Amino acid sequence: MESIGKDCTELKQAYDTCFNRWYAESFLKGNTTPECDELFEKYRSCVHKTLKERQLDKMLDEARSQGGPSLDEEGKKKGGEGGK
Amino acid sequence: MVKLLQFHFGFEHAWSDVTLAFWLRYPNPFASHVLAADVVSRKVDPETQYLHTTRLLLKRGVVPKWGQRFFRQNEAYILEESVVDAKGQRMVTRTRNLNHKKMMHVAETQRFIVDPRNPEWTRVTTDVKFQSSVGWGLTGKIEGFGLNKFRDNAKRSREGMNLVLERLRSRDMHEVNKEDNVDP
Repeated sequence: MESIGKDCTELKQAYDTCFNRWYAESFLKGNTTPECDELFEKYRSCVHKTLKERQLDKMLDEARSQGGPSLDEEGKKKGGEGGK
Repeated sequence: MVKLLQFHFGFEHAWSDVTLAFWLRYPNPFASHVLAADVVSRKVDPETQYLHTTRLLLKRGVVPKWGQRFFRQNEAYILEESVVDAKGQRMVTRTRNLNHKKMMHVAETQRFIVDPRNPEWTRVTTDVKFQSSVGWGLTGKIEGFGLNKFRDNAKRSREGMNLVLERLRSRDMHEVNKEDNVDP
């Protein structure tokens, strides 16, 4: 799968490979210590540059400020997960 | 105008595999309209140990033919936010479109849990909210279009997940994402 920024695709694939392995072999087995931070930082900064160039960053920030989904059925939020 | 609906379905695969397949599901031949996918943020909450992820997806072909003269840009940016609780075996995802919101805003929440009747299977509950405010008497038509398109996409999405899950079951993980040019 391509990245939205064509130049970021290689960085994305390197990160995805690392993440998928970590998710299957560590996270799901209870070891939640991150392992792919360095690859993610390189990939993330490339993507953010692209988002800025295409003026998508504001649209994204605005949407994200509404808070992510909650695991609780009633949609109640615990501290730190953002407001409604 | 707002339309709400809820439906349930299941995968005959373990919860852990289904959540892994969620990350691996693009590309697959049932999702040829997904052009790009990026993780824009991801972190493990140090307090809860939940994994929080935000992805941005780029999809093409979102505007119906009769609507293209009003909305020229026929691509949509989709925000996909998710939380995974590995210990409690729960995952919740929420996807919504970021542009074309005036024509149609679709927010979909999916909850993935272990099937209470079979611990080897996964149960999914989907809640969807459609909203359109385009006016000109087109709102009903657009919502009808959105609903049909959503049903169609939901079916393809399940088929895509099942394909990835079958590959996970039978092959090495690294082959799961091989590009294939089948367009069913």
